[in-house]
Amino acid sequence: MITVENLTKSYGGFTAVDDVSFTAEAGRVTGFLGPNGAGKTTTMRVMTGLTPPTRGSVTIGGHLYRDLPNPGRHVGVLLDASAQHAGRTGREVLTLGARTMGLPASRVDEMLALVSLDERESKRRIKNYSLGMRQRLGIAHALLGDPSVLILDEPANGLDPAGIRWMRGLLKSYADRGGAVLLSSHLLHEVEQIADEMILIGRGRIVARGTKAELLAVQGDGSTLVQAVDNDLLAKALVAAGHEVTAAGAGLSVSTQPAVVGQVALEAQVALVDLRATEGRGLEDLFLELTADTQREAPAGAPSAQPATPAHAAPQGGPR
Amino acid sequence: MSTTAPTPRASVPRTLDVSGTPKVPFTRTVSVELRKMLDTRAGFWLLAVSGLLLVVVAGIVMAVVLANDIGITANGWVQVMTVPLSLLLPIFAITSVTAEWSQRTGLVSFTLEPHRLKIIGAKLVAVVILVVATMALAVALGAVANLLYGAFSGNDVVWNVDGSAFFWTVVNQLLYFLMAFGLAMLILSTPASIAVYYVVSLLLPFMVYSAVYVLVSWGPDVLPWVDLGYAMAPLVGGGPTGPGGPGLEVTGTTYAQVAVATLIWVVLPMVLGGRRVMRTEIK
Repeated sequence: MITVENLTKSYGGFTAVDDVSFTAEAGRVTGFLGPNGAGKTTTMRVMTGLTPPTRGSVTIGGHLYRDLPNPGRHVGVLLDASAQHAGRTGREVLTLGARTMGLPASRVDEMLALVSLDERESKRRIKNYSLGMRQRLGIAHALLGDPSVLILDEPANGLDPAGIRWMRGLLKSYADRGGAVLLSSHLLHEVEQIADEMILIGRGRIVARGTKAELLAVQGDGSTLVQAVDNDLLAKALVAAGHEVTAAGAGLSVSTQPAVVGQVALEAQVALVDLRATEGRGLEDLFLELTADTQREAPAGAPSAQPATPAHAAPQGGPR
Repeated sequence: MSTTAPTPRASVPRTLDVSGTPKVPFTRTVSVELRKMLDTRAGFWLLAVSGLLLVVVAGIVMAVVLANDIGITANGWVQVMTVPLSLLLPIFAITSVTAEWSQRTGLVSFTLEPHRLKIIGAKLVAVVILVVATMALAVALGAVANLLYGAFSGNDVVWNVDGSAFFWTVVNQLLYFLMAFGLAMLILSTPASIAVYYVVSLLLPFMVYSAVYVLVSWGPDVLPWVDLGYAMAPLVGGGPTGPGGPGLEVTGTTYAQVAVATLIWVVLPMVLGGRRVMRTEIK
């Protein structure tokens, strides 16, 4: 639904977005992840016609954004929940949107109910809104015109855990009904549970993309963590079977699959306490690693030796 | 990971059918912009204070005129009532533009309507509507004041509004609002635009030009070319010392001076500011 093709945006000598291509499809939630200043917001501003691209293009459903008639009816946009007039009430903000789009006033009440802003809150001025309330209002505004595409920049910012869970459910069901959702975040855990696909961006370039499983599959090294009642006995049996064994915490790390370790344990008649595949370094680590050279500060403990390793697994520029 | 691309789903739409959606009509954009001008707390107070000013000014003038037994006519009332309107209301023209940047509402406004010229046009129409509506209000209040004056003083009520002078009073008012609008587009910041506008429209004419006009030999020759107020003075029936002073004669030069001053303070800021609005990035 959203197609970004070879998008580049430079400011003088600085390239904020560097030859980025990806698509966000209908019926899916696409997570757009990267550290602060990676180019997410710039990409989204180009998408919505607020910033002219240096090269490349973005189309939404085959149209340039500026060619969409009454765009609010097709694309719901939330770029910054705080970008609202402090002296306007929440209800007034939605009323202005509804009037522009030619929607009945009842739509405002529906949206307020949807995002759980009550009557009193809706009549308060935005100056007195918490960031979480502004986000809810922003999401209500984005959904006002019943669009088929949603573009949300950091919508979970400022939401409490219950709010984040609520938003996840909302976006998930929106995508299930056939909508396309593009959702940016610099916080992985906000996105990994709902995103069907993730685009990782760092310093203006896409560094990896895929589903959570795909991204993790690249990382998993096929080794196993195991803990037995008698670790020494198990270690001997594993070494005898030709596997590398190293002590890891309360257990052992073995250079083979869990099933193989289980078989060895069975034959050696050692009772196991814990048996699981090494989770690579988890998505969080992957995220930090992929964007390591683009972080403002190198994350402590992140492997810095070969930050570009997974790039070969996620070739750049390949249209999907 | 290009080998693990998501399985293509034939049913997933890749294009948006927009043929059934009409564009947002311009009149709707205008009505929204008009509403945006007045629906904030600042907008409410600006209007309230301006209304209060109108009444207070009318009251003071009435008291002075009655106490000193000076005659006042309908024309005089219109001139008097225009002053409070030109004091605060131009801020509406400024914030209508600059709030989109200062309050960052442009992120929403320009995504709901990506054609920026349409929004600027709608704001401009909204400003003109505001000027015309408030002038009509001023005239109505002036008429009431004129009647009251007749009742209080016992003098005959004089309805002598000069059509030409009134026309130019409205034009004058409009030009100042458009100047505020143009400067706002050029500067795109609420406080800076307001400061520049009041320096150019009030401070310089009253504090500097008035002295230059009287004290410097070339003052009366040069000032009408560079200041809207001095250029318009003969047309609105005022003199160099403002309304009520000795009348200035309207000549062909007057129109040329109005044109030049308008070019400098209205057309130029509008064109340069318009270009800036069209090109700037909305953040």
